Amino acid sequence: MDTLNELANGFASALTWQNLIFAFLGCLLGTIIGVLPGIGPVAGVALLIPLTMNLDATGAIIMLCAIFYGTAYGGTITSVLLNTPGEAASAITTIDGYAMTKIGKAGAALTIAAVGSFVGGTIATLGLVAAAKPLGELGLLVGPPEFFALMVVGISLLVALAGKSMVKALISGALGLLISMVGIDPVAGAPRFTFGSDNLLDGVSFVAVIVGVFGLSEILSYRKDSKAAAVHAPGMRSLLPTGNEWRRSAPSMARGTGIGFGLGLIPGMTGSVSSLLAYGAEKKFSKHRDQLGKGAIEGVAGPETANNAHANAALIPLFTLGIPASPTIAVLMGAFLQQGLTPGPTLFTEHSEIAWAIIASLFIGNVLLLLLNVPLVGLWTSILRVPASILTALILLFMVIGAYTINFNVFDVFVMIGFGLLGLALRHLDIPLAPMVLTLVLGPLMERSLRESLEISQGDFGIFLNRPISVVLIGIGVLIVLSPLLKLRKPKALNEDPET
Amino acid sequence: MTKPQRTRVAPTVLAGIGAFVVVGVYVLVSSIGLGLWTSLGPGPGMFPFAMGGLLVAMSALWLVQELREPSETASGVDRGLVLSVVISLALLAAVMDLIGFQLSMFIFLMYHLKIRGGRRWVSSLIIAVAGSFGAFYAFNYGLNVTLPTAGISVLNSIGL
Repeated sequence: MDTLNELANGFASALTWQNLIFAFLGCLLGTIIGVLPGIGPVAGVALLIPLTMNLDATGAIIMLCAIFYGTAYGGTITSVLLNTPGEAASAITTIDGYAMTKIGKAGAALTIAAVGSFVGGTIATLGLVAAAKPLGELGLLVGPPEFFALMVVGISLLVALAGKSMVKALISGALGLLISMVGIDPVAGAPRFTFGSDNLLDGVSFVAVIVGVFGLSEILSYRKDSKAAAVHAPGMRSLLPTGNEWRRSAPSMARGTGIGFGLGLIPGMTGSVSSLLAYGAEKKFSKHRDQLGKGAIEGVAGPETANNAHANAALIPLFTLGIPASPTIAVLMGAFLQQGLTPGPTLFTEHSEIAWAIIASLFIGNVLLLLLNVPLVGLWTSILRVPASILTALILLFMVIGAYTINFNVFDVFVMIGFGLLGLALRHLDIPLAPMVLTLVLGPLMERSLRESLEISQGDFGIFLNRPISVVLIGIGVLIVLSPLLKLRKPKALNEDPET
Repeated sequence: MTKPQRTRVAPTVLAGIGAFVVVGVYVLVSSIGLGLWTSLGPGPGMFPFAMGGLLVAMSALWLVQELREPSETASGVDRGLVLSVVISLALLAAVMDLIGFQLSMFIFLMYHLKIRGGRRWVSSLIIAVAGSFGAFYAFNYGLNVTLPTAGISVLNSIGL
């Protein structure tokens, strides 16, 4: 009953006109980011953090969460209409989505994708409501050693699942941790790796790094031969699916929700894996599996429901344990920290009103996305008609503003340029970027919990092995990292994961 | 047609591995200077020392993997694009505090729209004005986010 009361209070706060506007703007911007092929959700969310700097914490996080799950739907539009995924989690939708466009059923595909996203997102948010209290209470039993061990598991999973080479993933993770260590040491107060620059005493701006590594490097890696496809926007009359299409989609949405929700809870699993596995499930269980690949509605409903269920479920480990399950969630966690909120069990004790308002806003955001996306398909596709040179110039404009306004210092624009070049080099060397962003955000928390633990034990590393929760978690982390030696194989879908 | 399998390690991969080793060694040496252990427990250098060690060890392992089986690197980059974007951004950042956001961003956008993008004068001007002067006012007065004004007093006095 407590949970329902708190959720009701959350709705009261989320339904104020200011917060509704923030959720609406977030959905709008998120969809635009999803539609634009040049900019993914990680850079997109980081880029828009400065817009929220002067908002109150609730409004800022509501807007950023809406941007986050808005991108999950925006990517679908280009997958269906252009055969080009706006973001990686929608890549698999191109197969049947674009095939439906070619037979004149683009509208039905987009409507089913929007409804599926709504269903998946809403059910995953209900899961968050149910899990928040018990997991939050469990999380309060966690001390510095357990917290450190928990982060070891999270990072191990992401490293193990990112890309094809664990060696490269570990290099990426170590780089992120090293970047996070620049600045004043949190315990002893000594400056580290600042090269005598006052600008680095507070550390390297996390927004500038993310925008550089994920956003600018993407622009720098554009190729001249990238082809622009023709856009065929569906008319309003072709938007509604037939009764048969609705009936065929329902079981696919149910399967997609289950897969997306389950995988969203696991750190390191990306939305792409969920959508790939959901497509695989359709191939196996759908009554019309013989039509998959030729424009079957199940090939859109399953993956699109899964990636939105995944996006919302991935918020559960963040809210309850303070562990970001994906790079985009890590950026979101950075935004929480900048607003003075520490995601995790204490969020529900120290900032209960804000936490529940954000959860309530997730329900509202899913409704807004449904209302926004289906009738406005024509508008979204018109964005794709904007020439690449104009889009690039405007994206660069927002990157400069985003990097500058974090500390109101042009030094951060230079940081962004430097990290853009680093990102380009990492892409060229096939080093995954995801572990870097995760360790960049978690680095300071991880170091603090390690050092606090060792101070408690007066330098004895045995503290991690004497406490049952931490020993189990560290054991899991070690097993994950050693899995290649033990010949434990990754699911095939992970090797095909375009996000890694 | 499939690409032939590489038989030698790509120079860019070698350069990358070399760079990571240099960074790792630098971190290891600096961390010792910061202090690995204090009377209270771990010192400021301990965690970076571990990460520097990890970076060097993984780079060495990567080199071994490459020597056994050289990997394919991604296709080359458009150097013209990289240079023009990076240099224009660096110049923009260098002069932004001096001539203000509005003028510097206007010039930056005109370069990317008119000179690099080959857009028409009218559309370039409209977008550049909106993205520089328009964005300045929208951020300063709409979102209460201050963008820099000119450090040169003459420019500052005319509102730039």
